[in-house]
Amino acid sequence: MEILSQLIVNSVIAGAMYALMALGFNLIYSVTRFFNLAHGVAAAAGGYAVFYLTSSLGQNVYIATAAGIVSAGFLGYGFDRLVFLRLRRRKTSSMVQLVASLGLLTSVQAVLAILFTNEFQTFPAGHTLYNVLGGAITGTQTAVVASGFFITLLLALILRHTMFGKAVNAVSDDAEVARIVGIDTDRVTGRVFFMGSAIAGIAGILTGFDTGLGPTMGMGLLLKGVIACIIGGMGNVWGGTAGSMLLGFAENFGIWKIPGQWKDAISFVILIAFLLLRPEGMIKK
Amino acid sequence: MEYAINLAILFLIYAILGLSLNLVVGYTGLLSTAHAAFYGIGAYAAAILVTSHNVNFFMALLAGVLASALAALLIGVVLSRFAGDYYALVSLGFNVIAYSVLLNWQGLTRGPLGIPGISRPYLLGLAFSSNGPFLVLALIFLAMAYIISRFIAGSSFGRVLKAIREDEGAIQVFGYDTVRYKLAVFVISAAMAAAAGALFASYITFIDPSSFTVMESVFILAIIILGGLSNLKGSVLGAAIMVLLPEALRFAGFPASMAAELRQAVYGLSLILLMLFRPQGILGEYRL
Repeated sequence: MEILSQLIVNSVIAGAMYALMALGFNLIYSVTRFFNLAHGVAAAAGGYAVFYLTSSLGQNVYIATAAGIVSAGFLGYGFDRLVFLRLRRRKTSSMVQLVASLGLLTSVQAVLAILFTNEFQTFPAGHTLYNVLGGAITGTQTAVVASGFFITLLLALILRHTMFGKAVNAVSDDAEVARIVGIDTDRVTGRVFFMGSAIAGIAGILTGFDTGLGPTMGMGLLLKGVIACIIGGMGNVWGGTAGSMLLGFAENFGIWKIPGQWKDAISFVILIAFLLLRPEGMIKK
Repeated sequence: MEYAINLAILFLIYAILGLSLNLVVGYTGLLSTAHAAFYGIGAYAAAILVTSHNVNFFMALLAGVLASALAALLIGVVLSRFAGDYYALVSLGFNVIAYSVLLNWQGLTRGPLGIPGISRPYLLGLAFSSNGPFLVLALIFLAMAYIISRFIAGSSFGRVLKAIREDEGAIQVFGYDTVRYKLAVFVISAAMAAAAGALFASYITFIDPSSFTVMESVFILAIIILGGLSNLKGSVLGAAIMVLLPEALRFAGFPASMAAELRQAVYGLSLILLMLFRPQGILGEYRL
């Protein structure tokens, strides 16, 4: 019984973390229609920004976290202005944009490794244990679950009820028509990059508090987010979160019987099963 | 001199990897990011057979090629159903899985410890233990890879591959089973990568999983995109530039401790710049 509740708690924590990656990735995909692999390095950069502000400049953790989220957002915005916007204007294929994002991921990751070394860095975080339904959860992990939940809700509300959200929906339905009716699609896309990358930054920062930071952490986070999006349904807020939860549960219940190092393999098996049997994902757009 | 030979051998190995990946990415238009997996399977199969079973290097290389081809066949059955972005993503996933197998199947691969003491090849009393003769051996392998690739590119099989790249739906209408063609070229490409892997293992004499990550696949991708997709000379040229460029940076005064990161930064940046300013690369005949 105790194992079961701990497994459920762990699954929800993992699912919430994947959801934070999936939300931004999905949002960016919905307006640009390409797999932005540089999304992973935005998460890592957010984590490292907080690390730099707290350990080198001695800033307060809350101020540093806010600054980290904003800097991840600006990094994503910069990616769009410097690279993707130019590629979009030239009407290049989504493969070209994917390769460019792969280049961004690789080079920014290398810059992080040069600046902060390849060593694993940890934050000085408190590890108070709470008890939820017989399963243990740390303070950081509670923050992960809360952020995953609130940001999904917030994003869904923004997309539904604000002018900006309506513009995002219009661009994701048909960018050409959106431009004709007077929506500044480049501006909307730039803001989407900012928002999506800032959410990824939250994921990176929380990973830093939970387990620690490494320059290549973005790749792992990214892959889970992408898989969650595909199995949940690309271009759909709820789909990304639903896919994340399914993935979190599948992985954590999977390692009940299979050794833990096969977690990644389990998630890819699920991805392939979905791609072959239900390519549109759990929730169809 | 020893330094120049070392670079030349690395260049030859990467040129073989580039040629073989070009068959899939350049000629067939499938953005595979799993090439390092097959390179790794070839390297590990050869290394294990040479060290623990005392098999002759050339037999071990052949076994590595077969193992890699078999793995490519299994993976390709799933992968060949996809195209475009999804192909890139699913192949990336396979590279992650292959890496975690190399890392975690400790009974076979010794995991993160790697496999040391891989001996250099010998054949009919001819030993390739010093770097000079090894260079000649690697050159022979590159020549073979080039001839095979050129034959494929010019054959009717190669023309179907290019047709798949241009319009898969149209060529299906003419009755071609495109999944089978995609699978075939993927297996051939993996087998060639495995030969490069076996060469690499016996040249360095030590391998560990860190040489076969997704980032290595991206590096090989950068080689062929820089040189030019769908052009064999381009792959060789791309390998030469990508192997030599980080060395040039080292002479420019960057510290050696950052060599690996610097190399990554260079090829990442070159991918971005190529996509922005010259997506067809230097000699390319096809752009993504």
